[in-house]
Amino acid sequence: MSAKRKASLGAIGSSKAAKGSAASTPGPATPRSSGDDDYISEDDEDGIEIEGKAKGYTNNAMKKAAVKFSVSTYKSGAPVARDSASQFFDIGKPDAEGPWSRDYSKLPLQPDHANRPLWIDPSKGRVILESFSPLAAAAQDFLVTIAEPVSRPQFLHEYILTPHSLYAAVSVGNTVDEIIKVLEKFSKTPIPENIIDFITSCGKQFGKVKLVLKNNKYLMESSDPAILQRLLQDPIVGPLRLHSEGDDIMTTSAPKVGGLVIPGTKNAAGLQQASGADQAPDEAPEDIYTTLNEDEDDDVLEVVQSFGIADHSVETVLHHCLELGLPVLEEYDFRNDDINANLDIDLKPHAQIRHYQEKALNKMFGNGRAKSGIIVLPCGAGKTLVGITAACTVKKGTLVLCTSSMSVVQWRQEFLKWSNIDESDIAVFTSGEKTAFSKSTGIIVTTYSMVSNSRNRSHDSQKMMEFLTGREWGLMILDEVHVVPANMFRKVTSALKTHSKLGLTATLLREDDKIEDLNFLIGPKLYEANWMELAAQGHIATVQCAEVWCPMTTEFYQAYLKSENRKGGLLGIMNPRKFQACQFLIDYHERRGDKIIVFSDSVYALQAYAQKLNKAYIYGETPQNERIRILENFQYNDQINTLFLSKIGDTSLDLPEATCLIQISSHYGSRRQEAQRLGRILRAKRRNDEGFNAFFYSLVSKDTKEMHFSSRRQAFLVDQGYAFKVITSLHGIDKMKDLAFNSPMARRELLQDVLTANMDEDKEAFGDDLFHLGDNKASAAARKKANARRTAGSLRDLAGGQDMAYVEGNRSRNKDLKKNAKESNPFFKKVQRDAAKIKAARANMLA
Amino acid sequence: MSDPSLASFEYLEKLPGTTFNKLYEQPSTALAIFRRMLPHLAKTFVMTLLYMSKPLPLADLDEWVEPNSQRERGDALSTLSRLHIVAITAPSRDNPQHVSLLPNFRKSLRYALTGGGNHHSFGVPSQDSDPDVTIEALDEYATSQWEGILHYLVHSVGGGRASGKLSESVTTLLTSGDLVRRPGSGPGAHGITKSGFSFLLQEVNAQVWTLLLLFIENSELLGMNSVEVLSFLFMLGSLELGQAYTTTTLTESQLHTLNQLVDFGLVYIPESTPTLFFPTRLSTTLTSDATALRSVGAGFDAAIASRGGESQGFIIIETNYRMYAYTSSPLQIAVLALFTKLYIRYPNLVAGKITQKSIGEAIRHGITADQVIAYLNTHAHPQLHKTPAALAGGPVLPPTVVDQIKLWQLETERMETIPGFLFKDFQDFKEYNDCSKYADEIGVLQWKSDGKRTFFVTRHEQLRDFIKSRKAREAAK
Repeated sequence: MSAKRKASLGAIGSSKAAKGSAASTPGPATPRSSGDDDYISEDDEDGIEIEGKAKGYTNNAMKKAAVKFSVSTYKSGAPVARDSASQFFDIGKPDAEGPWSRDYSKLPLQPDHANRPLWIDPSKGRVILESFSPLAAAAQDFLVTIAEPVSRPQFLHEYILTPHSLYAAVSVGNTVDEIIKVLEKFSKTPIPENIIDFITSCGKQFGKVKLVLKNNKYLMESSDPAILQRLLQDPIVGPLRLHSEGDDIMTTSAPKVGGLVIPGTKNAAGLQQASGADQAPDEAPEDIYTTLNEDEDDDVLEVVQSFGIADHSVETVLHHCLELGLPVLEEYDFRNDDINANLDIDLKPHAQIRHYQEKALNKMFGNGRAKSGIIVLPCGAGKTLVGITAACTVKKGTLVLCTSSMSVVQWRQEFLKWSNIDESDIAVFTSGEKTAFSKSTGIIVTTYSMVSNSRNRSHDSQKMMEFLTGREWGLMILDEVHVVPANMFRKVTSALKTHSKLGLTATLLREDDKIEDLNFLIGPKLYEANWMELAAQGHIATVQCAEVWCPMTTEFYQAYLKSENRKGGLLGIMNPRKFQACQFLIDYHERRGDKIIVFSDSVYALQAYAQKLNKAYIYGETPQNERIRILENFQYNDQINTLFLSKIGDTSLDLPEATCLIQISSHYGSRRQEAQRLGRILRAKRRNDEGFNAFFYSLVSKDTKEMHFSSRRQAFLVDQGYAFKVITSLHGIDKMKDLAFNSPMARRELLQDVLTANMDEDKEAFGDDLFHLGDNKASAAARKKANARRTAGSLRDLAGGQDMAYVEGNRSRNKDLKKNAKESNPFFKKVQRDAAKIKAARANMLA
Repeated sequence: MSDPSLASFEYLEKLPGTTFNKLYEQPSTALAIFRRMLPHLAKTFVMTLLYMSKPLPLADLDEWVEPNSQRERGDALSTLSRLHIVAITAPSRDNPQHVSLLPNFRKSLRYALTGGGNHHSFGVPSQDSDPDVTIEALDEYATSQWEGILHYLVHSVGGGRASGKLSESVTTLLTSGDLVRRPGSGPGAHGITKSGFSFLLQEVNAQVWTLLLLFIENSELLGMNSVEVLSFLFMLGSLELGQAYTTTTLTESQLHTLNQLVDFGLVYIPESTPTLFFPTRLSTTLTSDATALRSVGAGFDAAIASRGGESQGFIIIETNYRMYAYTSSPLQIAVLALFTKLYIRYPNLVAGKITQKSIGEAIRHGITADQVIAYLNTHAHPQLHKTPAALAGGPVLPPTVVDQIKLWQLETERMETIPGFLFKDFQDFKEYNDCSKYADEIGVLQWKSDGKRTFFVTRHEQLRDFIKSRKAREAAK
């Protein structure tokens, strides 16, 4: 790998730009010239993936891998042959060796290629799978193990081989030779040399260094002293070594003084555990013992050495080790951990684990130890149960971190529902409740903010935190890992000492590339479920997705073109045609008997819509008890079928009643938000009804930025196989009665309202999700102040000459609910019942 | 008027009247123009006027036309006068306008219909024949020659694998017609051009005409008589497939043309009998309506089918807009590249993605969304036909993708440009009103503004006459 090659990868953007001019000569008609610009923008969310990932790492470990994958090896590996169609696959400027191209048409085909399901891309490690091939099922299982899924629609799936996916594969017990052999078996062409090299190098380096937690200290551990020596002499890792006085192991630099650990004498069947209670308990564990023992015979009695590192530098070290080509393995041999007390917990017999949950857990406990990592399951596919099962497998002290106090309660309930844990062993740590378990070990459920918030702790929480940080934990379950800012994770993971971490999420996506940090903070992605498959099997609801195009009215579009950014966005949201579409859809689906959630990022729009349509709504400032009341009404009151939610409802809100979703405004091009919102209807109760479909509408104002964002947002779901139907006109909307803003006058008034709206009030839209729950008070105060505003204006304005008119707002439906709730107070009910009884008695008497 | 003939039509319109006069000396030309270039109403007019001894008053002609078909009438008359088939007397005070056929055209068409004369215009059939030359053999010859040209176009990049059998004159023609650029003809300039791509997707008949027109333009540069060449081509169109014709009655430039047409595959000259030539199907259908009825989409397919081999579907479109095509044919890949962004190529598979940009690009080349969809549909992989929706008689392609492609096209069609003429500065509203009304009646009016007394038309010739005659009438009053 010459330096030149590296440079050329780094400069790929510029070389593409340069190529644009080179390609322009064949005439504007050649698609080749057209394609180039969107290598950067739209097309290659996937193609660029490796390059993008490389960016996430500060140094060039990944880049090395990527380079290995790309330019150089193509030249040496794949045969070069050109014909007239080759030009369409050129992606670089021609150099001395000819253009570098993705034309691999001269790779030889295996004689029986028709029966093999895979193509492997020698340049990027992308794999295309023919899902209708007879071998597809087997190949798919295999690919999920060794590669990350990119897109999984109906016929042809794409995967990508990454160092992380290969490490994960190797750690589950696949050997490099096996991986290559199986790939060879499935591939239509012989495997390119560089892919073999890549797999081999990934596999060989893997597992040389381990990070273990011992006596509440992190140790870097290896069986090869040379490697530890190398690490110690490394300019970055070396200084981070912990020199603590009084600990003789750490004081000397010689690694041979390192602690002695004898691993793997009695590895028991984590695998069997993982598959849960549905397996017969009397299945002989001895068999597994022996097989596992055979596997590990070679490293029994092997001497390992280690040195300690400080808690806060763990991430840096992990990071750097990967760059050195020595990915650090984090495993917890919980079976052999005699120091930490065992927790008495098991799944209840009725808990049935679904096949994909089992697969996910198999990857976590594949070799009888607990690996740290992330499991990706769609919303509603039972992430909680996976977490609980993991806790039941490890059987040590467990920490559960969730995003809100509401989900804290839910997690605790789920634990009690699915496992036989004693109620006193599971404690909750929130701002309202601070309990600790009484026995030597147990489970604690808390929120990220409780743990990471270091200032203004009350005495109680301070004590509780000391309790949490002062001990070793077997497992930490991190719920909804995608929403948590990376530095909050850093605080959490450095403060709490855990042997293994399990991240759970539905959408491992961030628009800001920060997702890569999770690889070091938690671990690699262990498993990602196939949404379409789960939907087909009825585990999650099937959803009809639609994008509704709402043309802007003339006056709104004029204002839009003149306005600055944020106001323009609001104009797009408040577009009267969009409002009408929303009204129409709500009306249509309410009559069908659907329960509808309407999402709006903009609080201004949320209130405007909800009040105009007289529906209940919840946003950041809605008090907790009011929220609960509204949610209960939505679930059980058949008069309340529509609920407006701000972005606080994006995640962790469990509403199985909802069957229809309308999105009127959203957070730019966030694929994650789109998927999370879709997740709100995936667990629809009625999903197993014959022919049941949930509906997901995204309302988009035409010719505004929303269009662009909308297509970006859908990218993830579309790759999962969801199809977004574009609706340009809603059939029957013109016949609908009482359509709002149907007159030009009303529209102009709305426009005036929007233009004078104070954008600061819309603050929530730009803050971050649920983490604002705590500091509502400040913004509420700000709001109150903002309510009355003085504006300079002429008398003409006041008289209505400028479309400013007397306003009569609809009463908030929220308040109605409150009233209803009061009436249903048991005491008043009793009074009413008595009154009715008396009345009836009187009537009887009269009769 | 079908699309393919448009090119030749436009070319003819540009010719001066004298050229037409010479062209119409050949009955075959007159017949060909009559059959191929005229709308139905114009044909009726011509047939009516053909045997009339004296000019017909225009008012009488109008009697035959239904009042609500004024637009067709205007269209027919303007076509006829543009092709120099009829003469309409200038409007004047004393004489109402009259219409009559021009003498050369009338004479030739009469000959063509009833026979007679000594013009050899429909070729001179030879008594000799070649038993080896069957219709099948001719078809095969024509196809292989024509494919050679198409292959030269798509293979023009990789050093011209298929160009070996193509004669120098043809490649020169393709280059001069800007269908293809040769390696070395400029910095980095090589390969097929935009017009070359449009050419590739045209129907075969239109392709032939495009090449022939190029040839005619070229022949003028070589000092050949373009009228002779043209009338020879029109003659070819009236010949019979499978019949041998003699070359002895041909002129010098016609012989030269004939040799060129051999390269195109329009005629076949057996080596043993160089004085005989056989027209192939490509030439006998030149001026007939039969092939013109084929849709452009069919031509699109024809271009592909000519590659032979894969007749069954090979394209898979996914709901995420990815396109996978089981093909190794450069021609097919080149066609796919017209509307997809290709990503990677394996020995038997090409993967790419349909994007708004790629479709927009295709639309700019003149391919319509419907064409793309029709193409994807006809070549859909058998797997797509096995989906539950398709088995139930539903769509084969994912409906979302189909809709999206159509919507992308609609996006590009929000604005269109029409070349034409602006009329303004009328004396009074009445004049403006009369003129704009007239323009509307003859179907050339595109836009008008009563307030500004301005309107915009696509053609001005008739309107000019109308304004003149109106002025004359005004003056008379």
